Amino acid sequence: MKQKVLKRSKKAALVLMVPTATFLMAGCGQEEAVQTAAFETVDQCAAYYNPEQCKADLGQALAMHSQVAPKYTDKAACETDFGVGQCETPAQAAAAAGTEQVPQQAQASSGGFFMPMMMGFLAGQMLNRSGSQLKQPVQAQPLYKSRDDRSTFRTANNTPVAKGVGPAYVKPSSVQPKPAGVVNRGGFGAQAQKRSSSSATGFGG
Amino acid sequence: MKKIACDERPGWRSYAESVGFEFHTFDGEPYWDETGYYQFNLRQIEQDLEEPTEELHQMALGLVDDVIRDEEKLQQLAIPEKFWDFVANSWRNKAPSLYGRLDLVYDGTGPAKLLELNYDTPTSLFETGFFQWVWLEDQIMRGKVPQGADQFNSLQDQLETAFANLPLANPLYFASVANSIEDKGTVMYLMDIARQAGVDSRFIELEQLGEAGGQLVDLEGYAIGGLFKLYPWEFMLQEDFASVILSSQTQWLEPGWKMLLSNKGILPLLWQKYQGHPNLLESHFEQPGQSFAAGWVRKPLFSREGANVEMVTSSGEKISEPGPYADSAFIRQKLQPLPKFGDSYSMIGSWVVGNSAAGIGIREDNSLITKDSSRFLPHIILD
Repeated sequence: MKQKVLKRSKKAALVLMVPTATFLMAGCGQEEAVQTAAFETVDQCAAYYNPEQCKADLGQALAMHSQVAPKYTDKAACETDFGVGQCETPAQAAAAAGTEQVPQQAQASSGGFFMPMMMGFLAGQMLNRSGSQLKQPVQAQPLYKSRDDRSTFRTANNTPVAKGVGPAYVKPSSVQPKPAGVVNRGGFGAQAQKRSSSSATGFGG
Repeated sequence: MKKIACDERPGWRSYAESVGFEFHTFDGEPYWDETGYYQFNLRQIEQDLEEPTEELHQMALGLVDDVIRDEEKLQQLAIPEKFWDFVANSWRNKAPSLYGRLDLVYDGTGPAKLLELNYDTPTSLFETGFFQWVWLEDQIMRGKVPQGADQFNSLQDQLETAFANLPLANPLYFASVANSIEDKGTVMYLMDIARQAGVDSRFIELEQLGEAGGQLVDLEGYAIGGLFKLYPWEFMLQEDFASVILSSQTQWLEPGWKMLLSNKGILPLLWQKYQGHPNLLESHFEQPGQSFAAGWVRKPLFSREGANVEMVTSSGEKISEPGPYADSAFIRQKLQPLPKFGDSYSMIGSWVVGNSAAGIGIREDNSLITKDSSRFLPHIILD
């Protein structure tokens, strides 16, 4: 006899909502390193990867530069960490990148600050298994070099990723870009308060 | 389709609370109601609900293309011009969508009629996907429901598959407003399923979302690559962080193009394109000074849970539900009264995950307008 096809789920289990359930954080403590690469130019990158993707990754790194780079109010303090002549203002960075537009970050803090120059970029992880860009666990981002270690590329959070140009193996969580700067909060939710008759009202429907 | 009285499971309330279903009773009134259930046959489910759900869904998707290239339609839907490109790009880039719910009028015979599409922030998900599923298993085991009974409810299976297969950001953040236990319950259920599908799911209160350098950030200041928000698009577009929607590299769930379909203005647009379709009710944009005739319903473009809906029945009785959404334009829709079972009017919420029909949940109310407080009843399929 043919098995009847059910119209309902084969299972309906909960793992988080049940207080007695214990579970392990997926991948916790055993995150695998993935291959990416560090470059100074699109040409270097194009030797390994699709040139169009290289251009896009450099563009993303440049755009991210003034958002994630460590910030100093004092040029000397920046140079202590990154070397004499190795620091710039966001306006200089934007000019060097050939854009007219000064990133929002710089406008917000008009007092001016200094940050290390971008020395290279980390390529996003190319062509992963699913071929999907959104599942890229590693984001393209700017790289820096500290004053006392000019051979090592580091992320904005000072994580060393590569000794020179070429392939690099990184754990995705260690190179997650973190915008450095003032965080504003509370910009969503005002309509809920305005339209809420009781505190229990929901905004699903 | 019929309603059958049934004994409640002893102790179901404490079980509900143990699995995080804290809103089973609301202001002392039952929300989850298992003193009865609805019974359908398989033909009713497959031909009258499942197939029309998928067809209506495809018709709605077909309208997105029409709207994004038509300024007049974008204006009719009150989409701010500043976001037209954002919406169009989200559609052209095939930004993935997780789920939606169609609200249908159906009495067991004849074509189900579409009342509206809840395609941005649909809830009653946990009640449908989990709690009524468990109810059926329990009641079969207790012999209160026939052994061969089934349920139109593949919601959890389909959501798990969607979380596993859609090109989603990982980690994926989930946000709802701080003060709603119902919204948080829905979000916790989605996070639970996402976790089972291998997605690193993280909760953040909507009000705690941050912005740094144009990027949406979490509590530690990390950029949010993907956000499921149980919060209406039309609210977000008016708030202080509206510009962050345009500058942040965040993947949104539901995506921007869903704001076209969750809008009641999609109902007249569907009628214009598919006039006379058996599953559609005649609908029009309200004209200035238009008289309110018997047999019609008036709905705001933006509203949920029946708020600000008014109707005049064929006998001339006026029924209305107050609410906070009177500030938008309105549509008119031909009244198709909900069927009455006993003392209650019932409405069917039919779920879509991806492009597939994924099950139903039934809401009952003492009035013709289904609302937030309307009771949720389980159902079975029995041939």
